[in-house]
Amino acid sequence: MKILALDTSAKSASAAVVENGEILAESAVNTGLTHSQTLMPMLCGMLDAARLRLADAGLIAVSRGPGSFTGIRIGIGAAKGLAQGLSIPCLGVSTLEGLAFLYQGLAGLVCPVMDARCGQVYTALFSAENGGIARLREDEALSIETLCEILAACDAPVTLVGDGACLAFRALRDRVPGLLLAPPQLRLQRAACAGLAAEAALASGVQPVKPGELLPSYLRLPQAERELNRKMQQHSNQNQNMEDNK
Amino acid sequence: MLSFISHSPAETEEFAASAVAPKLRKGDVLAFRGGLGAGKTTFTRGLARGLGSDDEVSSPTFALVHEYACDPPLYHFDMYRITGFDDLYSTGFFDYLGNGVLAIEWSENIEGALPDGAITVTLTPDGESRTITLEGGPF
Repeated sequence: MKILALDTSAKSASAAVVENGEILAESAVNTGLTHSQTLMPMLCGMLDAARLRLADAGLIAVSRGPGSFTGIRIGIGAAKGLAQGLSIPCLGVSTLEGLAFLYQGLAGLVCPVMDARCGQVYTALFSAENGGIARLREDEALSIETLCEILAACDAPVTLVGDGACLAFRALRDRVPGLLLAPPQLRLQRAACAGLAAEAALASGVQPVKPGELLPSYLRLPQAERELNRKMQQHSNQNQNMEDNK
Repeated sequence: MLSFISHSPAETEEFAASAVAPKLRKGDVLAFRGGLGAGKTTFTRGLARGLGSDDEVSSPTFALVHEYACDPPLYHFDMYRITGFDDLYSTGFFDYLGNGVLAIEWSENIEGALPDGAITVTLTPDGESRTITLEGGPF
């Protein structure tokens, strides 16, 4: 079955067609956040060049988050619309899991890191082994400090991938022995990897969903939320004091 | 620091257009402080004109963000109704950062999420006059 895969979860946007572990076509741009304008023409251009048709797809796979709020909504919206129109199911794939699939077929620990702003990162931990990708930690939003503790406790070298990999590498290289930074060509999310992750999920028994049931997965930032709420509370107290002093 | 005493909305707009807008670069964030009627929207109207936009400028109280076509693009936020981090994330705020100039009304509400280097614009009313003070960035 051919899977049409989409990723617009961060700065880059990409589309791909995968089938039985092979990448048949892929197209990507990384020039800014205009996914709503670039995704569909890019997808059509890719299919034309590969002599494929939308109707060849048996499933739509999409990076469902975490990531950019606007980007995730564009990807999920596009996937729902395409799947509805084609009467085929879809499958949301964790953006972090898709990143780990850059290393499918290799060996070692892979830690995807995406910059969540406010000193937080979206992260998880995977092991590339036996030709597949095994998940060791769930997707979560953490401070770099907490990530440091997790990585320092790993007993094998860890490769950092994702748009927050550089940031994390600079902060942690001296404190986490054997830490590796993914090279640029193996660092950012690709629709093809979301497609390969979807194939692996289907093979392991995960059921695809109807377009109406496909949901984005935003990860909350508990620490940033607390910090912001604390400052807002301080601010409203100050205002209250000013009012009282009048 | 840059300070200016404006005696009318027209002067506020002209100050923003001629003294502030030319110094702004893509990625700059202006965080307004000043209550209702302080002149935040008037100031932003001047910014848009100074950056080369003909778009009509109004307070984004309901839409949360207005985009004005200019170079760099100007994104005009109103954080009055933003009460927590999830609210802020779902305005797409973090997706706009770095892609243009951000002008943020009621920035007090997102104090903890403002990027380092944000330019503070304080508008203090005194009768019909306004003392406008810019701090940070090129000011």
